[in-house]
Amino acid sequence: MANETNQPRPPRLPDRLLEWCCAPHLLEDVQGDLYEVYYKRLAQAGPVRARREFTLAVFHYITPFFLKRKPQETRSDEYPAPSLLSLSMFRNYLTIALRTLAHNKAYSIINVVGLSIGLAVAMLIILYTKDEVSYDRFHANTPTLYRITSRQLTPAGKQEGVEGNTGNLQGPKFSAGIPEIQSFVRYREDRHDIKRGTEVISQTVYAADTSFFSVFSFPLLSGDPKTALQQPHSVVISADMAEKQFGTTEALGKTIPVKNTIDAKEVFEPYTVTGVAQNSPQNSSIKFDMLIPMVVSQEEMASLENWFNIFQNTFVVLSPNADLRAVEAKMNRIYLADAQASIKMMADKFGVKTKTEYALQPFTAMHLSTELPATNGLVDKSNPNFSYILTGIALFILLIACINFVNLTVARSLKRAKEIGVRKVVGGGRTQLVIQFLGESFLLCFGAFVLALLLVLVSLPTFNQLANKQLALSYLFDVKLVVGYVALFLTTAFLAGFYPALVLSNYSPVQTLYNRFNLAGKNYLQKSLVVLQFALASFLIIATLISYAQFNYLTTKDLGYDDKGLVSVGKPRLTHAEANVLTNELLKSQTLVDVAPKNGGQWGTVAKVNGGTEINFAYETVSPSYLPMLKIPVVQGRNFSVDLPTDSTQSVLVNEAFVKEAGWKNPIGQVVNFWYSNDEKYIVVGVVKDHHFNDLNKTITPQLFTMKPRNMYGRVFIKIKPNTETASLRHIERVFKRLFPLTPYAYSFMDEENRKRYESEAKWKQIMLFGAVLTIFISCIGLFGLATLSAERRTKEIGIRKVLGASVSSIIQLLSADFLTLVALSFLVAFPAAWYVMREWLQNYPYRVDISIWTFVAASALAILVAFLTVSFQSITTALTNPIKSLRSE
Amino acid sequence: MRRAFLGEFEEIVLLVVAACPTDAYGVTIWEDVQQQTGRSITMSAVHTTLYRLEEKGYLSSVLGGATAERGGRRKRFFALTPLSVRALQDNQEVRNRLWKAIPQDKFQLIVG
Repeated sequence: MANETNQPRPPRLPDRLLEWCCAPHLLEDVQGDLYEVYYKRLAQAGPVRARREFTLAVFHYITPFFLKRKPQETRSDEYPAPSLLSLSMFRNYLTIALRTLAHNKAYSIINVVGLSIGLAVAMLIILYTKDEVSYDRFHANTPTLYRITSRQLTPAGKQEGVEGNTGNLQGPKFSAGIPEIQSFVRYREDRHDIKRGTEVISQTVYAADTSFFSVFSFPLLSGDPKTALQQPHSVVISADMAEKQFGTTEALGKTIPVKNTIDAKEVFEPYTVTGVAQNSPQNSSIKFDMLIPMVVSQEEMASLENWFNIFQNTFVVLSPNADLRAVEAKMNRIYLADAQASIKMMADKFGVKTKTEYALQPFTAMHLSTELPATNGLVDKSNPNFSYILTGIALFILLIACINFVNLTVARSLKRAKEIGVRKVVGGGRTQLVIQFLGESFLLCFGAFVLALLLVLVSLPTFNQLANKQLALSYLFDVKLVVGYVALFLTTAFLAGFYPALVLSNYSPVQTLYNRFNLAGKNYLQKSLVVLQFALASFLIIATLISYAQFNYLTTKDLGYDDKGLVSVGKPRLTHAEANVLTNELLKSQTLVDVAPKNGGQWGTVAKVNGGTEINFAYETVSPSYLPMLKIPVVQGRNFSVDLPTDSTQSVLVNEAFVKEAGWKNPIGQVVNFWYSNDEKYIVVGVVKDHHFNDLNKTITPQLFTMKPRNMYGRVFIKIKPNTETASLRHIERVFKRLFPLTPYAYSFMDEENRKRYESEAKWKQIMLFGAVLTIFISCIGLFGLATLSAERRTKEIGIRKVLGASVSSIIQLLSADFLTLVALSFLVAFPAAWYVMREWLQNYPYRVDISIWTFVAASALAILVAFLTVSFQSITTALTNPIKSLRSE
Repeated sequence: MRRAFLGEFEEIVLLVVAACPTDAYGVTIWEDVQQQTGRSITMSAVHTTLYRLEEKGYLSSVLGGATAERGGRRKRFFALTPLSVRALQDNQEVRNRLWKAIPQDKFQLIVG
């Protein structure tokens, strides 16, 4: 008898084809004949020809004769094929699944906990991304809603920059000249002082055109959206604001006193509430508490120079079938025709050579745009990178959890090999086994899914804080989101269960039932998955360490000035005379060291040096006390002096960056020419050491200090003696309120302000930390599971080793070394990747830390330590077991 | 009497089955047909003919023992039925009669 197992079997694919084509009642006979000829030819002509002839012969059987099935005749010698999904088998699967889970508690817990953490993170990220993408989509006009933007081009046509803001003219002029533009609305942020009871508070107020409520869909609780913004002294407030101001949302017709400046006098004018709006949705770039009508005077509209006066957002609604390109072309035609004279004037007067081209940006694109972000009255601008990184981390974590599942299931299958063998012997088909194991994976996943939902509920508040969102639980019950979660569940269950199911169902029953069956082969897949896990984990550790270092650097770097005990109090339009009075009054207290007024906000302007070169710089209006008080050294020349009255009209100080930009060798005595302002010329009397007046994310730019009396101050810095905060602040408040009763009083500490600038870095840091901790945790519980199984498998071996005299430490070494090698191997993958990615990230910062080799050393030490602790727990237990116990039963 | 119609190939297959000294099944029949006729014939053609003849009642078949060469599959042995014996004999008779009717020197004239 020829032993067919030693010979190559007939080609599989044609064989399958034959089985599929040939009618069942003929198949045995036909296939048998073909096999017989195949083996005969195999001996005569060799495998290549035999296979070819077999294949060819099979093709001849694809004829209607063989395809036709025998009609309706069951042969008595065949049983009906058992259904794959019989109820009793299902019940058996369920019982077995629950029993195995209950018998292997550690294994089940590791799988369920790992998977549920992975799923929970993924769910949170889906929630986050959904919210990000849903921004500004709730307006009925969404598809045709655009913002007017512009590009600045050099005379050669190269793009210099883009601008998301516009002025007063663009909206009305484009709208009047282009029929496709159905309506426009200008929207601007302002701050106004209002009275609430007797208290004066500073309130953000938005001004918008009458069309606001027809362009955007902000439902009003009361009031008529068409007329709400028609009268000049009307105001629409949010429900929140109404509650705060009046204690009720029934505020229609009530008045709010708002401070306006009329003929240089500040008076409170009553604004009548004409509408109460629902609070703006959280996924909106436009969020307002107070909305007043935009009033633009006739003169403003007539002055064509205003084409270049850019400070607000203008939105337009196009007709549904409008061609975007055509509308943009028309906009530019109108601009060039209408602004012709003023373009020429700008070129003559200021030497402006750049050309402006108008364009439209879809309203929904603003939120995640880095080029044209939602700024200037629009809120919540977001960086799409944030979404990408979060998604990346979520995928990492989910992947690691799935890897755990695969590894543990395959590794543990050793114990179930007998079950599989028995099932196969009594007639279980491979498909049935695949269904069984996939079913078990779905069961586990379902448990994990439920747990994940709970985790999401618990962690949502923390996540909101981290991600700067107000995601609500109700968000979870959205059809699309539910579909997304179910899809996530199915994918995870399938991913995690598919490979083990295939492997387990492939065991040969003879081998599994044979006593000394050993499945511990090379197991490359398991090993490479562990390497992958730890590569991801160590990648995140390094990322965390480096972002921590960078954050530390940003928050502790010497800014070049002393921000300790520095209180900042804002006072808009503070004249130099008022500042003197305030300073004198304040210094009456012993607790204050010094007072220095400065302009509010950040001013920037341009001037000419060396005869013709233009320099852009930060323009600071200060008093002589400013530099000494902040301990900013003057490196050349001198500071402003109170004793020299000419200083305020003739002298300026510049910083080192300014000197460098101007290319001066001897900066003292150089002339700075403000040519556009009556050709005013100032002489540089001192050079100030560079200091970080902006945050450290920006390089130090040229800076110029002046004492020009016409420039008003905007805030006052007050240096207080250490540990006198309470007394000092009380004194400052008293003086301030007495001198400026109509101005809201608010103070801040400079060092706190400076720290707040790095909130986004702080968030990055925290998110990285969370990601790293979670990946490490999940990787480790996976490793723990594997170590446990490997130790169980080697119980006998260890027993024998101990009997023969092996020490406990050598056994621990034996059991741990395998895994630690894998962890070490993972560094080879993780380190270059981490180095590259983090270097790219650090490029965003002009002032940054170097990536030190110690980061990598620390990361590897940490990873190895954690892995060792995980593995050694099991190793030690095993190594300490009495060998008699493990060897007694055989 | 209704005369059975047998195609040329069917007749050859029947004759091969009849001539086979042992039990005849797919592979042996296929090999014999090729050997006897010197033609290259696909196995599926032989199988089709065998099953057709069985359907018409010219052949009967039984499933035999399994052998390893066939991957454990059984052989289907074919045997003639009285119907096919009669049909073959009929055909033979018709041919004999026709042969006898040919004038003696006719073939020589044609072949030359």
